[in-house]
Amino acid sequence: MLTPNMHNNYWRELTRNNFGKLGLVLLCLVLVIAIFAPFLARYDPGEPSHSILMPPSLAHWLGTNDIGQDIWSRLLCGAKNTLLVALGVGVFTTILSTVIGASAALVGGLYDKILMRVIDALIVIPAFIVIILVAAYVLPNVWTLIFLISILTWQGGARLVRAQTLSLKERMSVYAARTFGANKLYLVIRHIIPDLNPILFAVFIHSATRGVFMEAGLAFLGIADISTVSWGLMMHHALRFYYLDVWKWWLIPTGLALSATIMALVFIGHAFETAMDPRLREMEQEEWQC
Amino acid sequence: MRKIPEIGTYVIAFLIILVLIFLLPRMMPGDPLTAICGEEVLVEMTPELRTELLHRFALDEPLWSQFFVYLTGIMHGDFGYSYYYNAPVLDIILEALPWTLLLVGSSLLLSTVLSIIMGIESGWRRGKISDKSLLTTTMILNGFPNFFIGIILLLVFAVYLGCLPLQGAKTPSSGLSGIDSMLDIAQHLVLPLIALTLAQIPGSYLLMRNTMLTTLKEPFVRTAKAKGLSKVAVRYKHAGRNAMLPIVTTTGVRVGIIFTGALFIEIIFSYPGVGLLTYNALFMRDYPILQGVFFIVAVFVILANFVVDLLYRKIDPRIGDANTEYAQ
Repeated sequence: MLTPNMHNNYWRELTRNNFGKLGLVLLCLVLVIAIFAPFLARYDPGEPSHSILMPPSLAHWLGTNDIGQDIWSRLLCGAKNTLLVALGVGVFTTILSTVIGASAALVGGLYDKILMRVIDALIVIPAFIVIILVAAYVLPNVWTLIFLISILTWQGGARLVRAQTLSLKERMSVYAARTFGANKLYLVIRHIIPDLNPILFAVFIHSATRGVFMEAGLAFLGIADISTVSWGLMMHHALRFYYLDVWKWWLIPTGLALSATIMALVFIGHAFETAMDPRLREMEQEEWQC
Repeated sequence: MRKIPEIGTYVIAFLIILVLIFLLPRMMPGDPLTAICGEEVLVEMTPELRTELLHRFALDEPLWSQFFVYLTGIMHGDFGYSYYYNAPVLDIILEALPWTLLLVGSSLLLSTVLSIIMGIESGWRRGKISDKSLLTTTMILNGFPNFFIGIILLLVFAVYLGCLPLQGAKTPSSGLSGIDSMLDIAQHLVLPLIALTLAQIPGSYLLMRNTMLTTLKEPFVRTAKAKGLSKVAVRYKHAGRNAMLPIVTTTGVRVGIIFTGALFIEIIFSYPGVGLLTYNALFMRDYPILQGVFFIVAVFVILANFVVDLLYRKIDPRIGDANTEYAQ
């Protein structure tokens, strides 16, 4: 069980762990690329041209695709789309999980029972397959996709938040505040929510990772708004030409960019969880401190 | 005490699936008939066919009687008709399903066994160079989406090695039989299986390693060591067996993940399972196939969860008590 403790400095723990450090560096790199893509890109990523399937050259660093778009520019612009999905799904899923999980724990009774039943049932259903089916009908753009993924994957986070809130409710500090006559709202705002923060960050990172993976997966299946520059969609198109040499500068760099982003999020999530779990922290410190 | 699994959970999950498949095409803007039958139906649409289809799905009646008609259909194994393949959906899916089951089943087995062994060995050697390198490798692997792993394998074998078949599940019209045919199928299975398993290992391995680390601190492990048992016996029989529980309990969820992974891997290797079927259906807007695949995969995953739930209560009597923790 994850046991957040407000006496721990999670940021310090995160930067102490080698995976955490590497993850943060990778994520910053992707972030810088996403922000400066308009300046770094040398062509309009959506602009087709007559020079199709060109090998890398000084004009086109990673060559061009089947309709003559510059792959390097598209690769840079894809970072923005991926991070947007990560942030969107992360924030929205965390909000949903928190509202549902915390309210279940605080309200209790029948409301809690019904919600838990629904959550148990939703966890059994393979979410990604539901998303593929729904997306096949809806044909989502970035925003509807963020909404769709979040609305279908909040259940795991909600269960974590609920369990955490239940244990926070029983804390001595909460009891003490209650004996001083604190009302429910005050307890939630001053005592429960601040102590929930670590778990919310864990939920956020996990949701963001899942969001990136699912967006790329859907786009790879061809379910994406064709006007967006998405790494998954680029791979979808590139795979059709795998027997040509273009995979070297079209398929592989795109896949690596996507993997690096997912890796960054996975590393940060792993480091953070290690920091939150006292038993693991103790052991990992022995391992990685040296 | 809940010694038996909550059947209600699985019934609710099943109902959610049923209602979702029913409502989704009917809630979409546009012609519900196209949304139910797929776009291919428009090719042969005549006023007569339209009336007949409207009547068959009871689309001119209220929603609840439509639901009743739909439910009766499913009870009779009628998942609709694909106008693209010109065949009942169930027949098409049943033809593809064995290949997916073969792929998913073998990958589940292989990834579970490998991650258990890797987790046990890694946890036992905590902090040693072999543990660190295994941990780092799997963490990096964790970042690679399953379809990219598949693509890399495809490229490596297509471009450089070329010793394994890259497409399909068997050599077409080869006339092989008996052992030869099985070898042929096994050869075609290798690459998709490796790709799917590689994508699956990091999660299970990390779980196994974590549990192993905590289990090794338990007093009974020290007792076993003190008794002078061999290292292998302590590692596998005492610590390993106890550390395996989380892996067993997550089997249901992992089945879901592997099924989803198989959808992607099948596309890359043109493996003729339900994943490839889904891909083509997405391309052709063949909605009946999508609904059918979704229904069957979801039911499989729900059943797998149910079976695992049944089994692990038998394996570990503590589970029944532990689950009451949140039921109170």
